[in-house]
Amino acid sequence: MKLNVTFLLFVFIASLGFSSSTKGEDLVVSVAEPYVDFRTGPASEYPIFHVAEQGESITILKKKTGWYKARTVKGQEGWVSAEQLGKTLKLSGELLYVPTGSFEDYANRTFEFSVFGGVLENVTAMSMATAWNWTGNLVAEATYTQALGNFSENKLWSLRLQHHIFPEWIVSPYLTIGAGSINTRPRSNLVQSGDEVRKSDFYEVGAGLRYYFARNIVVKFEYRNMIALTDRDDQERIEEFRLGFSVFF
Amino acid sequence: MKFDDLVFNNNFYKSIYKGLIQQRKIANKAMMSAVVILSTGLLNAPALAQPSIQENAEQPPALIDPNIERREIDESDIDTEDFEIGIFGGFISIEDFESSSVVGASIAYHINENLFLEARYAQATAGQTSFELLSGGAPFLTEEERDYTYYNLSLGYNINGETFFTDNLVFNSDVYFTVGAGSTDFGGDERFTISVGAGYRLLLTDFWALKVDVRDHVFTSDIIGVEKDVHNLALTLSTTFFF
Repeated sequence: MKLNVTFLLFVFIASLGFSSSTKGEDLVVSVAEPYVDFRTGPASEYPIFHVAEQGESITILKKKTGWYKARTVKGQEGWVSAEQLGKTLKLSGELLYVPTGSFEDYANRTFEFSVFGGVLENVTAMSMATAWNWTGNLVAEATYTQALGNFSENKLWSLRLQHHIFPEWIVSPYLTIGAGSINTRPRSNLVQSGDEVRKSDFYEVGAGLRYYFARNIVVKFEYRNMIALTDRDDQERIEEFRLGFSVFF
Repeated sequence: MKFDDLVFNNNFYKSIYKGLIQQRKIANKAMMSAVVILSTGLLNAPALAQPSIQENAEQPPALIDPNIERREIDESDIDTEDFEIGIFGGFISIEDFESSSVVGASIAYHINENLFLEARYAQATAGQTSFELLSGGAPFLTEEERDYTYYNLSLGYNINGETFFTDNLVFNSDVYFTVGAGSTDFGGDERFTISVGAGYRLLLTDFWALKVDVRDHVFTSDIIGVEKDVHNLALTLSTTFFF
């Protein structure tokens, strides 16, 4: 308990550090389109309170999701959409590059974070995964799954390599191979001793389908078949189906 | 005919006049250089020896240098604030086991202006059941088993808005709803837990927010003998920072 309080304190101090370590030099752009809308908040629901005209230079202060906080020469501050800011020019005269989560950005992604819900041998399972886009075709991934059933608690982690056969397709199939480890603990009311945790390594093969949904969201459906190398005479075969989505950076 | 014309039509008078003007110009220059020499002499004695003082006085250095070096700033230098980290505290009502205080930490990633992903970890210590209190008999759980910890991963949806305290005191705010799944470690078991909730986020600055959050954690439990779905409601206050 005490250790966790210090951990919370650490989180708090770290967050203060994060928020204060911001300002560098400001990026100044000039409006190339007839006008740019300034909103009171970083969402399309917020009202427009000011308009910067063509040729006016604005300073970009920060970014929050698809919105940029900008300041006019007169000192008015508001939020500009990524779509509108993508049509402004830098001081060098070239177009400002603003990622809007297009299919092109999807192809050039580096990191990806995924969340899944699924079924592992008739038990509800939830998983998360972090992936690194190595080449366009090869993706390295670390995944963690937990399946808490009525008879046992299962926790699995694995390292996997995905091969995307046609990465340029909007609906794209892929194959995976990997290796990992599984921890199984029977429910405390079933086993009195309580510490009968079984740990075994496993190998897995699988296949999946990913669909580029919109902006920076991808929907995924996966199947994997694992072979656990147990201490007993037979090897255990485990199957998992899962559906989830991922966001990419 | 005016008097001026009479005078200046005459070339003789013209030349005299020009001479006078030239003399005055020379006198002015001499006076100026004298002042410059004197002042520079007073301020900087060795400068007197330099012969080019008069030239310097006539061509003062440009105040604005038009060839300022502009540092090229890249798009990647823009400060992005899509992550939200925070701590929270409040109360949790643990079904059959009284209510107690809860503390925890959260991290969220804002996918777009409406959707966000949030991971939460929290801990509390469960109290005693009514039966334990009234009968005064043997406790159901050991001290260690009374430690109640949970984590979950939720998908949230923001309804963006503004909060007007007065005409001039206005903050951006949002009401959000979350649906998530995770696990609860209590009574010696870990249980798959569904959590649903709603909250209000008040953005005091662009990067600092206060949140009030109500969340229900539902899981199947057989701790008191019969298997049933338990609802553990948590009411928390958080402070979060965007980075």
